[in-house]
Amino acid sequence: MFNIEFGDNGEILCSGRLDAAQCAKAEEFLGSVEGPSTLDFAQLEYISSAGLGILLKTQKRLVANSAGLKIINVNNHIHDVFRYSGFHSIFEIEAQ
Amino acid sequence: MQRTFTRSFDALADIYEFAEGILAAENVEDSVRFPVHLALEELYVNMVKYYPDNDNDILLDVTAADGKVSVTMTDYDVDAFDVSVPRNVDTELPLDGRVPGGLGLHLVQKMVDNLEYEHHDRQSTVRFTKESG
Repeated sequence: MFNIEFGDNGEILCSGRLDAAQCAKAEEFLGSVEGPSTLDFAQLEYISSAGLGILLKTQKRLVANSAGLKIINVNNHIHDVFRYSGFHSIFEIEAQ
Repeated sequence: MQRTFTRSFDALADIYEFAEGILAAENVEDSVRFPVHLALEELYVNMVKYYPDNDNDILLDVTAADGKVSVTMTDYDVDAFDVSVPRNVDTELPLDGRVPGGLGLHLVQKMVDNLEYEHHDRQSTVRFTKESG
């Protein structure tokens, strides 16, 4: 199960497991995001390459408009996935 | 333990539950569970993506003992595609040079301990292991 919604302070709260079967939900939500945005992964347990693709697509669109994604509260496992993917050089990422 | 799964992304939740049940029963630690689930998904998605119209289910065999997890995935009536061949993925590219996709097998190869591939009689068999430490 995966969920994505806005938090009280405008951050984007992700929870559950972002696998290939859940990407449409993430893509639809992030496709409507404009301007600098913060993704809070405190409750996100898992992400696969399909989820990375959505993040990358969103980042490219936002950076082209002088904005971008910041990803906070990343757990150790997802941190490893980002590290192996070289995402630290193209996103602002904060660990839990 | 073996089980077959329908060739669809919709099977991913069932695959997670199937594998997690085995890993939890053996008290496999989180540092092993995460890469096992990731490798299962990436390899399964690969099988589904390249043969969406194949009517055959995909067979998974997951065992766990003494902190070590072994997985065998079997796909039927398919051409050879060796998932153990190193991928040429440049993870140093700037954002402008990146395109979504192509990271799945790279991640599998980075995160499991051993990855083997066999193909004969149009049957693909992928084996991987992961243990703590």
